[in-house]
Amino acid sequence: MSDDTLFQSRRAFLQALPAITAGVALPMSTARAAEGKHHWAMLVDVRKCIGCQACTVSCIMENAVPENSFRTIVSTYAVQQEVDGQMTASTYMLPRLCNHCDNPPCVPVCPVGATFKRDDGIVVVDGDRCVGCAYCVQACPYDARFINHDTNKADKCTFCAHRVDAGLLPACVETCVGGARIFGDLNDPQGELRRRLDAAKNADAIKVLKPESGTRPNVFYIGLDPRFQGRVEGQAAMWQPNAHGG
Amino acid sequence: MSPSIVEVVNVSREVAWLPWAVQYFFLIGLSVGSFLLTLPWFVLRWPAWERVSRIALLGALACGLTAPVALLADLHQPGRFLNFYLHPNLGSWMAWGAFFIPLYLGGLVLYAWLVLRPDLKRLADAGGRWAGAYRAFAYGGHDSVGAIRIAAVLALAGAALVALYTGMEVMVVSARPLWDTPFLPVQFFITAVAGAIGLVLVLDRFVGDGRAAAEAPLLRLLAATQVLVLAVGAAWLLLGISGLSPRHAEALAQVAPSAAWQITAVWAAGSALVTLWLAVRHPEWRLAAGLIALHSAWMMRWTVFIGGQEIPKTGAGYYVYHLPLGHEGMLGIVGTAGLWIAVLILLISVLPWAGQRRAQA
Ligand code: SF4
Ligand code: SF4
Ligand code: SF4
Repeated sequence: MSDDTLFQSRRAFLQALPAITAGVALPMSTARAAEGKHHWAMLVDVRKCIGCQACTVSCIMENAVPENSFRTIVSTYAVQQEVDGQMTASTYMLPRLCNHCDNPPCVPVCPVGATFKRDDGIVVVDGDRCVGCAYCVQACPYDARFINHDTNKADKCTFCAHRVDAGLLPACVETCVGGARIFGDLNDPQGELRRRLDAAKNADAIKVLKPESGTRPNVFYIGLDPRFQGRVEGQAAMWQPNAHGG
Repeated sequence: MSPSIVEVVNVSREVAWLPWAVQYFFLIGLSVGSFLLTLPWFVLRWPAWERVSRIALLGALACGLTAPVALLADLHQPGRFLNFYLHPNLGSWMAWGAFFIPLYLGGLVLYAWLVLRPDLKRLADAGGRWAGAYRAFAYGGHDSVGAIRIAAVLALAGAALVALYTGMEVMVVSARPLWDTPFLPVQFFITAVAGAIGLVLVLDRFVGDGRAAAEAPLLRLLAATQVLVLAVGAAWLLLGISGLSPRHAEALAQVAPSAAWQITAVWAAGSALVTLWLAVRHPEWRLAAGLIALHSAWMMRWTVFIGGQEIPKTGAGYYVYHLPLGHEGMLGIVGTAGLWIAVLILLISVLPWAGQRRAQA
């Protein structure tokens, strides 16, 4: 997505603001997807994330995510380590969301085919089809899915497909204070996402979470510390919403 | 460099396969195991097994009829279960389950009816208020060995497929290293058979004459299952410790640091050893052996499902699970147990399950 369209999207977003109501369970408009020319993806520049959770909140507002559930969250870690004989403490922020995997383990397990990957790469749940068996929740290696207690169906980040289909940016991208989330079309060579990816790729700086799992994520990271690439070895969360089973 | 990482903020994903799922896997496993124990008498006609097989038939039916209720209740959208048949995704083991369960249960019910027909007729001949109904239900009361064999093969195929799919369904979840092991279906199956033997021992004490284990080598069979349980557990541990299988090592590394998991492991191994010891050395304590075997079968599933879901896939440490009291928790356990008892009482009161002994009484 070029800077120009980005600007367009922002303006469109502002104009459409009153019309955008929360809780759209996903009207599956695949009209655009059927063209097959888009391949939506996200690049998260971890170095720019300030851990403000603006994305977390805007996602909840935009998608009517029930209390104590999250489609995205910025995992925050306190890291203590010795550098040159000195103990240093730092904070590490890692925005997490569905990776819209190219080889998504959540799709083949769904007994009723409710979870599927659109032609434009976005992995979605057909709410009318879903029986709430939670098999997909088990199969996702990223803990990206959950059962929505309002709808009793599988829920997860949709890359804000309803917004993307309308030419808007995802809510979390729109609100990201640090400009850490870049959304765009992998197939658009002029787009910011593609250009940033290509530039960073040469420096070998692009990483994904759990690459060994073979899921081929479409959420890419710059500045991803390998210690946080898989399951984090550390002390459990000090603040865990939803610890009591919703 | 000695880094230490403390997770300050992260989401805790709650358990999505609820205690209902534990109940389903427990009950369907017990049903399949019990069904296998009915074969020696009803199909092979080994006289020493008559008591065992007759009690096992009760167990197979009661567990088999209760299990699907638990399964439905585990769906968060139970009203949509028809989608399993309208839109099956045949690449999913769970989708196949929707076809295997009716196959097994249909075969089991047909088989139970065929093997009990002569007894139903005897009951009708003995007269009484329901004689007419029993006569109609007996449908001539023939002991048709051929038909029984066919129904047994059908139910056996269903049972094998149920055992296969319940194991595979969990095994293919590679996102959870603890589940992602070929030992899991084997362990499910062995503990199911052990649990079924336990169930027969318990029912024998309370509704039978307490002599089921006297004639058939039931306790020896129970001992054999415990040896297998211990062997498979040891093999899993060995693969993990030696690092021969990176997947098993990963699973072991996830649970080994946790005191709760250490206790669980010791508990499971201890239970198997005690069951083995009682079965071999103290046949008079077979009720205790049976109860422990039943408890082990349940614990194994609870640990795999609930414990497995407490391991974060990306976050640090463990999620904390508190058993809620309502539908999502305790109710699932108590509800299925209550339903199971109700179904069992109903079966005991209407079916001539004990055969001649009861008809003559
Ligand atoms: S991150 Fe999880 S939910 Fe998202 S596509 Fe990949 S496997 Fe599916
Ligand atoms: S919870 Fe819904 S989307 Fe997920 S596997 Fe089950 S039916 Fe499919
Ligand atoms: S893309 Fe939309 S649904 Fe996904 S994390 Fe961002 S705001 Fe939430």
